[in-house]
Amino acid sequence: MTILRTNQIVKSFDGVTVLHDISVGFEAGTVTSIIGPSGSGKSTFLRTLNQLEEIESGSVFFYDEDITKKASDLNHLRTKIGMVFQSFHLFNNMSVLENCTIGQIKVLKRTPIEAKEHALLYLKKVGMAAFANRNASQLSGGQKQRVAIARMLSMDPDILLFDEPTSSLDPEMVGEVLDVMKQIMNEDLTCIVVTHEMDFAKEVSDRILFMDQGRIALDGSVEEVFNDANNVRIAQFLHRMR
Amino acid sequence: MNVLAGIPQDFLGGTFYILRENYPLYIEGVKYTLLIATLGTLFGLLLSLFLTALRIQETSNKDGLKERFIKRFFVMISSSYVEFFRGTPMMVQAMIFFYGFARMGLRMPIIIAGLVVVSLNTAAYLTEVLRAGINGIDKGQMEAARAIGLSRAKALRYVIFPQALKNMLPAIGNELVVNIKDTAVLSVIGVSELFYMGKSVAGTYYRYTEAFVLVALVYLVIVIIMTRLLSFIVKKVNHKEVHLPMSQSIPIEVN
Repeated sequence: MTILRTNQIVKSFDGVTVLHDISVGFEAGTVTSIIGPSGSGKSTFLRTLNQLEEIESGSVFFYDEDITKKASDLNHLRTKIGMVFQSFHLFNNMSVLENCTIGQIKVLKRTPIEAKEHALLYLKKVGMAAFANRNASQLSGGQKQRVAIARMLSMDPDILLFDEPTSSLDPEMVGEVLDVMKQIMNEDLTCIVVTHEMDFAKEVSDRILFMDQGRIALDGSVEEVFNDANNVRIAQFLHRMR
Repeated sequence: MNVLAGIPQDFLGGTFYILRENYPLYIEGVKYTLLIATLGTLFGLLLSLFLTALRIQETSNKDGLKERFIKRFFVMISSSYVEFFRGTPMMVQAMIFFYGFARMGLRMPIIIAGLVVVSLNTAAYLTEVLRAGINGIDKGQMEAARAIGLSRAKALRYVIFPQALKNMLPAIGNELVVNIKDTAVLSVIGVSELFYMGKSVAGTYYRYTEAFVLVALVYLVIVIIMTRLLSFIVKKVNHKEVHLPMSQSIPIEVN
């Protein structure tokens, strides 16, 4: 079953088109990694999927609903499409626990007790339950990102978007975040990951999208994309990443 | 009885005499000054939250002509408000407000008129401060809030405003101190605050210097106490956040 699908989406900034007619679908229970050079439109594309970036033309379908339509309840839909950011963006005015309960209480209308129990479940899963009452600013980068993952999971989304989740981390913290992500991905959740971690992408992905200059240049399994000797761009890209 | 008969002619003697004979009036003045300044700052702050929410509208591709017009209109109301109140002296506003309403048959108690003028004025200044405070907050905070499904209004209420308010605490304190001094201009409409009381005492004895030196000293004492109190509060609020030393979170390239 296709959870999320784009149909000919176009996005530009100040007259420069950064996404050209992208049409692609994401199946339930699969992990898709989006790779490609900087400026190829990977993050912008990911952000159009939950409409943090509005598009000029085309559509984004969540199941059968076009979420770019004015009538769509975007706030409700966003609870179903979770997102983790490169720079974590934990709410600085809240504790770790509050970060994970605010959305549940204010959007999903769960009671504070329900929300807390649910949040602690996921904080435990990412190994951050002991830090529940700490302020977000007291955590290391890796810890922040793990809390951000717990915050996303607490909303029980149908699909998870990761926007370069390890790019802002010290090298020694990358591993702890990737481990948590691998654990999630083993649970049959649907994930789309924009990443520069090639080994990670190879290990966890069912499918790789290689983006180049605002287009999906290659779309296939790990073997198909990484071993495509005919494609000069991916060969160059992978060579540079080594 | 001639009130001028008992007052010593020298400066110090005159000052102490005025203080001894009239301290209840000064205390009464301080009461009104503090009441109007603190309530005015508080109400102004609440109004500034509303005005800022109107001011920082974001247009979306999905907005129709009607939504765009309404948003523009809100922005215009908020910015015109700020322009007007920052662009005219509070003394003039007080005159227009008090006598304007009186002319329309609405005679409100002087103290209420004074309080309203200070609140409206404070709101204009704090709207600008709050807007700057919000601009200073990482854009990612709003994005993360929207990404978990919070509406724009809820994101402002629960994520953005609390952080902006914390950052602007020193500016709110400043505004309170400014208000304590600026309530003096309300004497033009007859609010019996500290300056008004000083004027009436000075008029009684024809001793302006002595009466106003006392007024100045009282203002100074209030402001010093208030400033210390505010910086204590600011320190207390910021103290909660312990920044542990940590390495840079963005990898540094090493050759």
